[in-house]
Amino acid sequence: MILNKKYFCIYFSLFLITSLFPQEQKEVKADSTKAERLEEVLITATRTVRQLSSLPLPAQIISKKELKSTNTIRLNDILNEQTGLITIPDFGGGEGIQLQGLDSQYTLILVDGVPLIGRSAGTLDLSRVTVGNIKQIEIVKGASSSLYGSEALGGVINIITEKPKQGFGGNVNYRLGAFNTNDFSTTIDYKKEKLGISAFVNRLSSDGYDLTESDNLNTVEPFSNYTLNTKLTYDFTENTDLFVSARYYTQNQDFIASEVLRGESNINEWNTHLQLNHKYNEKWSSYFEFYATRYKADEFLDDSDGLRFSDNFFNQLMIRPEIRATYSPKSKSTFIGGVGFNHETLERTDFTDEPIFNSPYAYLQYDTNPTEKLNIIVGARFDSHNEYESQFSPKAALRYEFNDKLALKGSIGYGFKAPDFRQLYFDFTNATVGYTVLGYNAVSTAIPLLEEQGQIANILVPISEFQDELKPESSIGINVGTDYKLTSNIKLNINLFRNTIDNLIDTRIIANKNNGQNVFSYFNVNEVYTQGLEFNASWKPNNQFKITGGYQLLYAKDKEAERAFEKGEVFARENPSSPSFQLDKEDYFGLYNRSRHMANLKLFYNIPKYKLNANIRTTYRSKYGLFDSNGNGYLDNYDNFVDGYSIIDIAVNKTFYKNYELGFGVDNLFDFLDTQNISNIPGRIIYGKLNIQF
Amino acid sequence: MKTIKLFTLLALFIGFSSCSSDDDGGTPLLEVESETFSNLHAPQVGGQGTGQDVSGAFTKFDFSTGQMTTSETDWDIAFRGTSIIVNGGVSLGTNDEPGRTGNAGAYIADGTFASISEVNISLIAQDSDTGYAIPSGSGNGWYLYNPQAFLITPIAGKILVFRTRDGKYAKVEILSYYENAPDNPDAMTDAGRYYTFNYIYQPNDGIITF
Repeated sequence: MILNKKYFCIYFSLFLITSLFPQEQKEVKADSTKAERLEEVLITATRTVRQLSSLPLPAQIISKKELKSTNTIRLNDILNEQTGLITIPDFGGGEGIQLQGLDSQYTLILVDGVPLIGRSAGTLDLSRVTVGNIKQIEIVKGASSSLYGSEALGGVINIITEKPKQGFGGNVNYRLGAFNTNDFSTTIDYKKEKLGISAFVNRLSSDGYDLTESDNLNTVEPFSNYTLNTKLTYDFTENTDLFVSARYYTQNQDFIASEVLRGESNINEWNTHLQLNHKYNEKWSSYFEFYATRYKADEFLDDSDGLRFSDNFFNQLMIRPEIRATYSPKSKSTFIGGVGFNHETLERTDFTDEPIFNSPYAYLQYDTNPTEKLNIIVGARFDSHNEYESQFSPKAALRYEFNDKLALKGSIGYGFKAPDFRQLYFDFTNATVGYTVLGYNAVSTAIPLLEEQGQIANILVPISEFQDELKPESSIGINVGTDYKLTSNIKLNINLFRNTIDNLIDTRIIANKNNGQNVFSYFNVNEVYTQGLEFNASWKPNNQFKITGGYQLLYAKDKEAERAFEKGEVFARENPSSPSFQLDKEDYFGLYNRSRHMANLKLFYNIPKYKLNANIRTTYRSKYGLFDSNGNGYLDNYDNFVDGYSIIDIAVNKTFYKNYELGFGVDNLFDFLDTQNISNIPGRIIYGKLNIQF
Repeated sequence: MKTIKLFTLLALFIGFSSCSSDDDGGTPLLEVESETFSNLHAPQVGGQGTGQDVSGAFTKFDFSTGQMTTSETDWDIAFRGTSIIVNGGVSLGTNDEPGRTGNAGAYIADGTFASISEVNISLIAQDSDTGYAIPSGSGNGWYLYNPQAFLITPIAGKILVFRTRDGKYAKVEILSYYENAPDNPDAMTDAGRYYTFNYIYQPNDGIITF
């Protein structure tokens, strides 16, 4: 545990200091209906503050208001309700995001502009992130490596947290729901003149749940976790300010592998983020940023005699200093450029090495409005790296406003994802089954060793093929869309997208072992594309009522598979005991875990007279395949599919005595379950919530 | 209609007359028919996690009669559990494995039963002391094993092409490994090791098409 006495003291004293300040200067909240008329702004798309409505890129904001009215507690819950986004459980129990049909490992997750780490198997578990101190969530779709480098291949999700507000304030929030799930959050913040300070604590615990009664294991074992976040802002002058944030997350969960093998798994994560901003004049500003984060996961299993059966650890560190500057030669025309250095290390069980990644980078972007109606953004980034090929990621975007109602926008960008530590350095042999997985760089040392030990029966891929560097996965993302304001109350937008990924990293068998098992390693192979259409509509007839709807059509396919179908190399049977027949191109369904159709419809109702708000939200995803059930190696129309489903959530919140709010809601109203196929839907969740502002 | 009939008769006449001139008055070609054999029982003893070596007699099949046989010599292919052997080459040396007396061979072709219309002689292999011509193991040969459902299912698009012990050819598509070939077999309730397969035997010497 990093949470030793020293750290605790720091956190505690921050609390104490903040609570000692007298309650004064309580800010009178602006009338919320008025505030809504203001334009929503976001920072993720350009790294400068931009109006959402004028942006040439497909982007979206989830507001604090939506988070509050839906009584969401974790990031995965709210993202699941957004058009074209869905969280997918991985085998390790984490829930990662699928965006434009791309896997979780291709979407960069940021908190206040800096990345979260800890993707032990590629997935970044979004249930790690509490929404208790979130101001808004910004989602930018399409390749964004021109600003953010690796991982921003499909898009970027940036979680913007609350900063200290003028005066003294705070809140307490408690939600109790099914499975004895307790979520408690509190924030205290204070700002006077130059100094702002805030502290946030969240505790979430749950008894977990079990979808399969037949075994002794729970689907989700009991857990409890804490998130602590303290922030300090200091305005030296009107033009110079400092932002410091320290976040700490710790989770403890039972880890049960079988009736006899029991243990615990622990996650400890900290992030420190420092940003110093200075505005030289109307045209020039500069930002110095320092970010360091460590993600540590440990787990162990003991057998029934209390003897240690297995011990696993994962310990990743990232340090990133960055300097950037903006220059605005004239209004509505901005250059932003930055240079930085990314340093990462990882210690992990079953690694050949303690690898170090060093990657200096630089980027430049120009955002301009040559005419009133035209906005152009061009930018590029260069990432150098000690372990893989340097990457140059350009991007261009354009928006043209025909009139007040109609605008057309398009963007094209390059995105990449560097091979991760696991794909390079893994050296893992399954103790019970006996197969081996080797990272690309581990092959040349590990295979001769296995040969020496007499474990190799034959080598299928010679070691010489592992001389070149493993290439980063890269993609070209194209988005074309329109914004259309039918009336002042009805907004529509359509976006067509296509992401073409090259050098996708996959596993293959490189050698047979004498025990009948195989040696696997990683290699660049597939070309994959995801393409489709996203449609969003919102209708706000008055201040009390809001309806939003969204739909995504998706085709996510492997080009090599398409060719195999075209050539007539793929066969299937009507049922397992009928003669086989040849499949054609139309029979190829696409990649696993992708639904052709996803949709959502949300209705928000607000009655100021009773200080009451209510909403009903529904999401739908059409059928999808989890694996190749008929053994031809591809997902085709004759495989078994997970049936499509929809989930309906309702929530009602009422404010009492100005500062007290009571909420009640039901997630998954009709208790939808698919215990066979869907492990992250535990059934109906009834909950109550209490929120106190002070 | 009349024209068609006439035309057919004419075609048949030409066909027959040309045959007779080519074959020097030899026997006309025997008909090739698609057959289905159901519930060929292929029990085995031991193996599959029992800790014992596999043993038990193979169930032999003769394409020329279309029947099972217990003959030591007059058989083409034989089954035990998921293993399929041919009467050609040498024994792998498992318990109770019959000696090879003929010149049978085999390979697995990718296609539908209808699309495999000609034998590719160069692909034919025989059983050997390192492995069978029809490879054993899930995904290697004709079947897939689903460890969750304990189910053996024949892989779609895998057609077994055989040379018989006496140099004729046959093709086989295995449909089911379970008794009475249920549409959706259940390893818990349906008895396994019962082969149902479609086959075509080409009884004419030297003809490699079906």
